[in-house]
Amino acid sequence: MGKVKGFKEYKRIDEKYIPVRKRLKNYKEFTIPPKEAELNSQAARCMDCGVPFCHSGCPLGNLIPDFNDLVYNNNWKEALDTLHSTNNFPEFTGRLCPAPCEASCVLGIIDPPVSIELIEKQIVERGFEENWIIPKIPVKRTGKKIAIIGSGPAGLAASQQLNSVGHSVTVFERDNKIGGLLRYGIPDFKLEKNIIDRRIDILVQEGIKFECNIEVGKNMKIKDLEDNFDAILLCIGSSIKRELDIPGDKLSGVIQAMDFLTHNNKYVDGQIDEHINKYDAKGKNVIVIGGGDTGSDCIGTSNRHGAKSVTNFELAEKPSTERLSKNPWPHWPFTLKSSSSHKEGVEREWSILTKEFIGDKNNSIKNLVTVNVEFNQEKNQFVEIPNSKKVWDCDLVILALGFTGPEKKLPKELNVTLDKKGNISANSIYQTKKNNIFTAGDCRRGQSLIVWAISEGREASYHVDKYLMGSSNLSRKNTFGDL
Amino acid sequence: MSISGKESIGSMGIDTPLAVLSKKPQLVYNYFKQLFAQVTNPPLDGIREEIITDTSLSLGKGYNIFDVIEEHSISLNINNPIISNEDLDKIKYINHEKFKSRSLECLYEFKKGHNGIEEALDEIVLKIERFVDEGINIIILSDRKVSKKMAPIPILLACSFVHQTMINRKKRSKFGIIIESAEPREPHHFSMLFGYGASAINPYLVNEIISYHHKTGYIKGISLESAIANFNDAIAKGILKVMNKIGISTLNSYRGSQIFEALGLKTNFINKYFKNTPTRIEGVGLYVLEKEISQRVKFAFNSEPDFSSIKTGGEYRWRRDGENHMLNPNTISKLQDSVKTENYSSYKEYSELINKQEEQLMTIRGLLKFVDYNPIPIEEVEPWTEIVKRFKTGAMSYGSISKEAHENLAIAMNRIGGKSNSGEGGEDFERFKKDENGDSRNSSIKQVASGRFGVSSYYLTNADEIQIKMAQGAKPGEGGQLPGPKVNPLIAKVRNSTPYVGLISPPPHHDIYSIEDLAQLIFDLKNANRDARINVKLVSEVGVGTIAAGVAKAKADVILISGYDGGTGASPLTSLKHAGLPWELGLAEAQQTLVLNNLRSRVVLECDGQLKTGRDVAIACLLGAEEFGFSTAPLVASGCIMMRACHLNTCPVGIATQDPELRKNFKGKPEHVINFMYFVAQELREIMANLGFRTVEEMIGQSQKLQAKKGVEDYKVKGINLDKILYKPVSNNTYNYRNTETQDHNLKKVLDFKILKESKLSINKKIKTYLDFKIKNTDRSVGAILSNEISKLHGEKGLPRETLNLTFNGSAGQSFGAFAVKGLKMTVFGNTNDYFGKGLSGGILSVRIPKKSTFESEKNIITGNVALYGAISGEAYINGIAGERFCVRNSGSKAVVEGIGDHGCEYMTGGIVLVLGNIGRNFGAGMSGGIAYIYKNEQFSETEFNMEMIDLESINNQDEDIISNMLENHFSYTNSKIAKMILSDWVKEKYNFIKVMPKEYKIALEKIAQEKINELIK
Repeated sequence: MGKVKGFKEYKRIDEKYIPVRKRLKNYKEFTIPPKEAELNSQAARCMDCGVPFCHSGCPLGNLIPDFNDLVYNNNWKEALDTLHSTNNFPEFTGRLCPAPCEASCVLGIIDPPVSIELIEKQIVERGFEENWIIPKIPVKRTGKKIAIIGSGPAGLAASQQLNSVGHSVTVFERDNKIGGLLRYGIPDFKLEKNIIDRRIDILVQEGIKFECNIEVGKNMKIKDLEDNFDAILLCIGSSIKRELDIPGDKLSGVIQAMDFLTHNNKYVDGQIDEHINKYDAKGKNVIVIGGGDTGSDCIGTSNRHGAKSVTNFELAEKPSTERLSKNPWPHWPFTLKSSSSHKEGVEREWSILTKEFIGDKNNSIKNLVTVNVEFNQEKNQFVEIPNSKKVWDCDLVILALGFTGPEKKLPKELNVTLDKKGNISANSIYQTKKNNIFTAGDCRRGQSLIVWAISEGREASYHVDKYLMGSSNLSRKNTFGDL
Repeated sequence: MSISGKESIGSMGIDTPLAVLSKKPQLVYNYFKQLFAQVTNPPLDGIREEIITDTSLSLGKGYNIFDVIEEHSISLNINNPIISNEDLDKIKYINHEKFKSRSLECLYEFKKGHNGIEEALDEIVLKIERFVDEGINIIILSDRKVSKKMAPIPILLACSFVHQTMINRKKRSKFGIIIESAEPREPHHFSMLFGYGASAINPYLVNEIISYHHKTGYIKGISLESAIANFNDAIAKGILKVMNKIGISTLNSYRGSQIFEALGLKTNFINKYFKNTPTRIEGVGLYVLEKEISQRVKFAFNSEPDFSSIKTGGEYRWRRDGENHMLNPNTISKLQDSVKTENYSSYKEYSELINKQEEQLMTIRGLLKFVDYNPIPIEEVEPWTEIVKRFKTGAMSYGSISKEAHENLAIAMNRIGGKSNSGEGGEDFERFKKDENGDSRNSSIKQVASGRFGVSSYYLTNADEIQIKMAQGAKPGEGGQLPGPKVNPLIAKVRNSTPYVGLISPPPHHDIYSIEDLAQLIFDLKNANRDARINVKLVSEVGVGTIAAGVAKAKADVILISGYDGGTGASPLTSLKHAGLPWELGLAEAQQTLVLNNLRSRVVLECDGQLKTGRDVAIACLLGAEEFGFSTAPLVASGCIMMRACHLNTCPVGIATQDPELRKNFKGKPEHVINFMYFVAQELREIMANLGFRTVEEMIGQSQKLQAKKGVEDYKVKGINLDKILYKPVSNNTYNYRNTETQDHNLKKVLDFKILKESKLSINKKIKTYLDFKIKNTDRSVGAILSNEISKLHGEKGLPRETLNLTFNGSAGQSFGAFAVKGLKMTVFGNTNDYFGKGLSGGILSVRIPKKSTFESEKNIITGNVALYGAISGEAYINGIAGERFCVRNSGSKAVVEGIGDHGCEYMTGGIVLVLGNIGRNFGAGMSGGIAYIYKNEQFSETEFNMEMIDLESINNQDEDIISNMLENHFSYTNSKIAKMILSDWVKEKYNFIKVMPKEYKIALEKIAQEKINELIK
């Protein structure tokens, strides 16, 4: 399989981007797809390892060596089938996944790893281009009805899995459009929304029902839900935003990242004509607090708004560019990562803790006070460095501090229990305290990656199917030997 | 296979569960292991000795072979009995009075389960009997019409059942069986079908898969017909190898031979369907096998018919949805983390993952538990530094792994007082000296394998232990090949060969065809280094106990029992997985046999094969082993990530590669290997403390401390019975369960000691000396001890040419002049036996007719078989005819002989051979280097050559000089008449010489010459 010495012959190439100046003018995706021959040779870099760590590193268990070989051999159709066999939505993961597979790629020991995510994305895009991705309508219906609450990646994956074996699946979404975080949390420049629509069309044709603007417990009765469905799968995500409980946090101009991004996505979608001032970064000095992916999305969005300056704060110290000995391959590398948004212009501050927001006479944010911190091993916490206080000018503060768990109202009304972390509690088969109610995704495991969401949706589907039918032919992931 | 026409190659052993332990449904074939020959009736080389092999089969009625009747000629002959759909049709619809065929469906009613199979088989046999009585002489067993309701009977089961039942009914010879099945796809499957009676096989599903891949463009550049033919050829080659490893040369005699051992099948099942096949641990029967069919049938008919639902299987490369592997991302990274950070708790996590097989049983030892605890404080257990002296790393050659990885293992093992193994292929002499920092890169164990690469007196002198490899776990009964591109100048140097010329190790040792021959080799090696232990490496299979008893009597000091699953080098996938048995079975059998025959005390027993943890070692010890070998695990500790690309030269971490760029990636340190050994010893100590053993010595063979785990309620596993493994012989007389004495090698009477007494000055001070001795045929291995003494003093250089000149009168015993070094000149007036000049290391040997004799030397045999086997350098002048296999694996000596038997210069890689008379058949087979000159007498015929690797050329001026020079030497050393005759008419006679030139060698010589020129230009 593969090209025996491919990894010695070809250097890694990454996706190329449209220049910053150009791409900041709009909210479109800005990647330039490589040529087919380039992709063939990128796939040829795969070494067809006896123990493919990538395949273990990928939470979905994508058959990476297998599709690499098919791409190397220009057999895109089969590559697509192979990819789809473990991943319902490669077009999402191919754009959004931080690629733990590449972090554990064996080639990464000696060279830059195989560009797995790029190949994944191009396989699925080729599939849509060639019209290979068509609805697979189940031959038989089981007559079982399943409700899935939440239409994020976990809910969507589960809906497709469960529908494929003939169950009648309805997905309830409280927002006005399907997709959850994909729809309103991820900026268009990372995932254009027609990419979601394209997939939803397939799902609809396969027979899945989608009900938007339905919030169970609000405009739909709990009892109706429980009475009308044989099984319920909760995929409600982890949506409680972490707050920053310091003086001045209620000032105007201190906003949550998710509100900022949702607003912008609705704006791009044409649902809002003009930016509300509160969420408009134009001409403002923007400080984004939180160095994660959401923070990075806020930086990209602020720059597109035309911010005067963008600064990013991260509590942790600046990571090294190389792996440290305590963080060896094949584990996830805690190294410095710079996203495309970072490259569009931002000042990144590390080891910094925000102490206070100071407002002007209109109660609008004006200044922000920080101190520098360092991690104390003995105390196992960050401690402030004396005399490191600094005052910053700012007009907009965006809090991108992550999520603390699912909203509690629905679990409570459904009478299912929560675990210590506040996530919905489930046994090893994704089943809550109530036999007919299952749960998957961020609301079960806590906030995580999109690949984990899809993986959870798939695994839970297996168990829901088994619960309803006594056995299941849905594929599931064997974790024996996993990292 | 369909692209290259060759069997698939893999590497790094097998770490998946045995069929009977696997949770994945298994084909019946997987419950059987191939048997192979070791020591007696050795394996053969069907590639290089194609002249004696045949894979054709005949179909139709058989007659009494003792009757000379013309009916014998009425048969359908099939050249390759793996047949295409078209060929099957030809037979199916044959329209001939003498041949009538009938097809039978091998299906059973799915809903009836295993009862359905029994019913269907009974019916099939009834029908066949009727057909045969009606005169039908070709029966086609087919599973073509599989459906949701009618499931396939395992075709092997059907074939064997029909075969055996019809034997009982005395009608088997009246018909031939053809298999039309979707099942067989690997060489092992086909071998088994032939082994249990089939005469031809049509693997129709494989044909369809090939045609699918042909259509999608995966198989390109060839026609579909040739793709299928290629596959069929590859299978035929694979079957040939399977036959050859048990020493069978024709498929006709292999058919129905049943040379397999069952592993995990019940006796009553075997008695009904595979009678007389050994099965030792019981296990499953038809009920479970049917359950496994049912899983496959359900999968096939329930899942969607698209490509993605077909699972990859994960047999040879780990996949999440495939078979489980002991070495997986988790265990590999845990082990590597632990040795890099010296973290014992991380190691314990690793060993838990390997040892605790509750979730997934993998090995026989996984079914065992320790009992009869008698805890003592761990401080009372001998220290780890003592324990690791019993640890060894496995035989991995420098060539298969890089210099860096090889030396790393040696340094590590030398630091802790354990032993590393050179592997087959010699060792750089630089490594015999200590490094400046006190480290030693010398491998304590020097291996002697069939290729004898680099096995010189000096090499053997630098060993603490010499290992004779009779077989290796990954591919017992097979030889090996180091392809030309891997033979870089450095490897060529240690192997005494030419760079870029491929090197072949033959399946058998050509000096071992019987246990007596092995005894002789042990004696030779003991002479070559009296301080070294002689270790004989065997692979586990049924009967290995008997072999071990023979080996103990043949005076081996150490016997190694290897498991089938080990193996770090390249091997055909079929052998990797299906040949040989786990060490638990072989070790227990060897221990019990040796104990019962009062031989155990004489030998040390060693065990290897996927030993990975302290628990593995503890179990091996309790079953009888006192020393322990590790290969895969220390490699993983050195950075191996189980790429399983050892055979491709592309190992990215610089271990199994000779690519200078990739070698730079080697990051292993001796400390990593030492940490691993320490951890294993530590884990072992904990177990010892629990069981109450203070030393390993106390623990050896105490199998009463082991018991089969109870309450394993797995539907497959519960039928297994391990009593035979755990049996401990007890008697009123005290048995010895471990090594307590040393072997008596009978060295006192060796002629060399007499010679040594008289040649001290010569050896110490290099003074030219001439001595005469009488010799008789009980004087064996003469010269080996002398050479050992010279090597000790003078290293590889030996003495100046012709310093110690010895003349013998009489009939010399076997291995005359074995490993004779530079400076020795040994002449026999009389004759010599087999193995003359074995491993010749620079000495000059001659054997000449007695002065008074009158016979014509060129018409009489003067030396036995296998002369100059593995000769490295030196000269030999033979005043007469030599036996068969002259100069096999010669890599540098120059020899003149007046005639030879069959298979001359086989596998030769260097040196010059001048034959002045007849050559036998198959001359130059596998000859990749060196040159031979043949004097064309009246019997000369070009058909005697094996032309696969050689060209015949006429001689040039340079050749003329070489030949005349050698003839002059021959005349002066032996007074040869024929040499004189040719020289006297040289101008005319020189045209009677023909040159045998290996193709690869010629190209390599040109390449080397070009490199030299390039260097000069620089």
